[in-house]
Amino acid sequence: MVGGETLGRRTLDIYLPLAFYLVFLLFPFYWMSIVSLKPTNDLFEMKYNPFWVQRFTLENYRYLFENTAFPEWVKNTLIVSVVSTIISLVCSILIGYALARLRFPGSNFLGVGIFLAYLVPPTLLFLPLAQVIVKLGLYNTYWALILTYPTQLIPFASWLLMGYFRTIPKEIEESAMADGCSRLQILVRIVLPLSIPGLLSAGIFSFTLCWNEFLYALIFMSSGPMKTIPVGVVSDMIKADTLFWGSLMASAVLGSFPIAILYSFFVKHYVSGLTAGAVKG
Amino acid sequence: MRGGAVTTGSLLERESSLGVILMLPGALLLMVFMAYPFFLGIWLSLTDSGIGRVGRFIGLQNFVDLLSDTIFHQTARNTLIYALVTVPFKCALGLGLALVLNNRMRFSNPVRAAVMMPWIVPTALSTLGWFMIFDPVFSPISWLLRHVGLISKNINFLGDPGLAIASVCWANIWRGTPFFGIIILAGLQAVPADLHEAAAIDGAGLWHRFLHVTVPHIKGVVLIAGLLSVIWTFADFQLIYVLTKGGPANQTHIFGTYAYQIGLSATEIGMGAAIALYMFPILSVFAVLLLIYLRREE
Amino acid sequence: MEKKTQRKLSRREFITTGAAGLGVAALGTLPRQVFGGQAPAVIKGTKLAFLQATYFIAPAQDLFRKQVEEWGKMAGVTMAVDFLNWPDLQPKIAAAVQAGGVDIMDLWPGWNFLYRNSLVDLTREAEEVGKRGGGFEPYVLNSGKVGGRWLGIPNGYSNASMAYRISWFKEAGVANADDGNKIDMTWAEYFAVAKKMKAKGKPFGQALGHSTGDPPGFCYPYMWSNGAMELSKDGKSIAFNKPEFVDAMKKFVQAWKDGYDETGTSWDDSNNNRAYLSEQISSTFNGSSIYFAAKKDKPDIAKDTHHILIPKGPAGRFYWLETRTTAILKNSKNVAAAKEFLKWWFQDEQYNTWWRIQEGYHLQHVKKLADDPMWFKDPKMTPFKQQPKYGLNTGYAGPPNEKAALAWSKYIVVDTFAKAVQSGDAKAAVEWGAEQLKRAYGV
Repeated sequence: MVGGETLGRRTLDIYLPLAFYLVFLLFPFYWMSIVSLKPTNDLFEMKYNPFWVQRFTLENYRYLFENTAFPEWVKNTLIVSVVSTIISLVCSILIGYALARLRFPGSNFLGVGIFLAYLVPPTLLFLPLAQVIVKLGLYNTYWALILTYPTQLIPFASWLLMGYFRTIPKEIEESAMADGCSRLQILVRIVLPLSIPGLLSAGIFSFTLCWNEFLYALIFMSSGPMKTIPVGVVSDMIKADTLFWGSLMASAVLGSFPIAILYSFFVKHYVSGLTAGAVKG
Repeated sequence: MRGGAVTTGSLLERESSLGVILMLPGALLLMVFMAYPFFLGIWLSLTDSGIGRVGRFIGLQNFVDLLSDTIFHQTARNTLIYALVTVPFKCALGLGLALVLNNRMRFSNPVRAAVMMPWIVPTALSTLGWFMIFDPVFSPISWLLRHVGLISKNINFLGDPGLAIASVCWANIWRGTPFFGIIILAGLQAVPADLHEAAAIDGAGLWHRFLHVTVPHIKGVVLIAGLLSVIWTFADFQLIYVLTKGGPANQTHIFGTYAYQIGLSATEIGMGAAIALYMFPILSVFAVLLLIYLRREE
Repeated sequence: MEKKTQRKLSRREFITTGAAGLGVAALGTLPRQVFGGQAPAVIKGTKLAFLQATYFIAPAQDLFRKQVEEWGKMAGVTMAVDFLNWPDLQPKIAAAVQAGGVDIMDLWPGWNFLYRNSLVDLTREAEEVGKRGGGFEPYVLNSGKVGGRWLGIPNGYSNASMAYRISWFKEAGVANADDGNKIDMTWAEYFAVAKKMKAKGKPFGQALGHSTGDPPGFCYPYMWSNGAMELSKDGKSIAFNKPEFVDAMKKFVQAWKDGYDETGTSWDDSNNNRAYLSEQISSTFNGSSIYFAAKKDKPDIAKDTHHILIPKGPAGRFYWLETRTTAILKNSKNVAAAKEFLKWWFQDEQYNTWWRIQEGYHLQHVKKLADDPMWFKDPKMTPFKQQPKYGLNTGYAGPPNEKAALAWSKYIVVDTFAKAVQSGDAKAAVEWGAEQLKRAYGV
């Protein structure tokens, strides 16, 4: 950025390393995509170059849409992800603001407690949790996931937002308070609009985790059409000891796509959100 | 600040009560769906419960038994390798990635989104991609190396004792690198450009500038990302479960997969809970480090 | 009272099936009067949820779904069937046992022991099925009862054997390679063929990873046929670390180097299917799924494929064979309807149709089906027909029970093999296995 830059120099400094990273990070996706475009018989044909598609087919995608409930899974995953992201965000905003700005009894203790929630792996929780879910009558409903996912999201999101809120100058809030605004009004009218990048980061983070979750989705909501994408794909594309690689990879590609698009729109905010939140927090 | 509460008497205005009220919705969810089942889990680990069988209280027997279980030793060793060895790689690769992305370039948003892919797509699905890439017979890597004449036999990625753990680590590094990349990138962007310029005018070289301007600015984020990553990797499950299920001969078992095998497949749920809880002290160390660091920064 | 009706019903069912024959029953769409014209009022309007593993034979899965729906319509019960990927069954079952949500499920070998406290006693219903079928096969009797009671109705098991390429076996000089039914090999002979084949670039393949089907399916029988077992007959000591077994393990280690694809240490149940179907290996231990997949997609390979019985060792020939059971969960809110359904589904008209459509992929549970015409449709499936008489259970010479299931799910026997071929030290591997078994069985 400083001094003269020739194209050669830029190539060496930027584009070469960038190419390395693109290959390293994207090769598996390239692989998944070409596998999804090959007929099954070609996949394990040793005489073909595996890095290229010899005989192109959309059969795997057709199978996905005609023989499985893929569109249904997408709908389920969307509903669950969107609603639990909203719930997590609301909870995290409140917690983040309380921890960042308010002094109240037990705040230290609660802050640490919420942070510790990081350390509890779902593999340890899901059996007792299943009992809770059934007792509350949530089994095999959207609520089973909508209410449990936030427990995985709130700790990170509120911590991130707390950091973000702290970067907002206190003076702004103080002058608003002097004008007679209540705390909640300040939160809604002043703090939140100033925190859009932080909210976006937390939101995208939450949405991604919901979209990807496997274990809870498998156990709390996998009957019939109530499956999410990862669970549906795995149970419909793997039959006994035979894997339908083509369709499996086709659904992996389609399942990853929405997330990738989401990121390409918001990645700028995501990074700046992390900058102010996680970084300075 | 405390004086602000005097203006109205309402609960929503008094700081102490408002704070508690704001915490309530999230805390409630965490209590019902995390804390309560967690304590149930601790109780289970102190019993000889099986799935569908209420056990007797046996104190710390499960924990003691595990200490003499050689598979558990192996599991602990594997987990430490898996969590600690991968982090420096993720960190170094992530730093490099961030430095590259921090340059002005065309298509920077799509490129950033693209390199985030390993981190953001469902692990259950991307790991299946790796499962194919590591296939003992059809691996494209083996195919390539065979064709350029570097090897004569297929590489047994997930079957050789040393290679198996290396391969799962590799997949984990792949998944985690973008996380470090994007966090460090965020840190880099917080470095004021005039600092670099000032240093450049003073005649500082690239390396010198990196060391004295960049590093101090990103030290914090790297530390946070590193500790988070250790914690997440330590408690990982899905990646190994899809690739090896802990095999061959337990060479890739980590706490999560071993707890799953004993607690679920063998239905010794008390023992399984105990295995998972062994993670707790080690995780706590890292969590406390992280907390101390964050507190100090405040 | 109830018993009497039942018996009458089954007799009638028996006659109908005999008359209707295979073809008519194939889709199971004949209207039936299971409840004498009408479902008992108590179960009308209730719900039943099923859990099963995904089927390899897709038409059988479709048929099962159809049968379930058909009964649901007749009985006025809302039915929900869930087919899950194999590895995902157990977490789901575990949650259902703890918390409910599933009424009927298909249990894999040993699971009737693991979940014994949570299953409804179906002794009467199972005995009825056995009687109607001329008695259960010995392997079913051996593995289906838990403490003398049936906690599920046995439905048979889909087992594996050695698949091989006819033309390549011919090249290796195997006599009668055209007809697997005429081949009777010892392990030494089988390994000798492997050596010849590996020299030609087409080794044998065997999965030794952490996978529930082929690895234990191979390792347990190899152990038994070489005189070793997990428990001694009196159940008081481990009978695993025996000199003859260490010796056999040395031979296996050697054969692995000489005749097998050595990447097998990481293979799971699906790897050998892929390797075989892409002509990378010439023989492997697997269910008939390889053969069926080949018939569908690669007819040339199917034509060139046959099966042989698993080789025998000094102590004899064995298969690891335990029955799957269809069980009802105690915490089901609808046990009555679940029982009614099972009684109906295990009638010949339903079960046999379902069983036949799998063309030998699924072994019979009762003796009457041992000589069913289905077995004679394709001689390449005959080696599977013979398996029931060679079946032993995990935990042998002890009974199949929770401890055997624990040892099994820890892959102790499988890992002994994997360790041996990785390290080359057969003795140390067997010693390690014996130590682990001692822990698992607490002897």
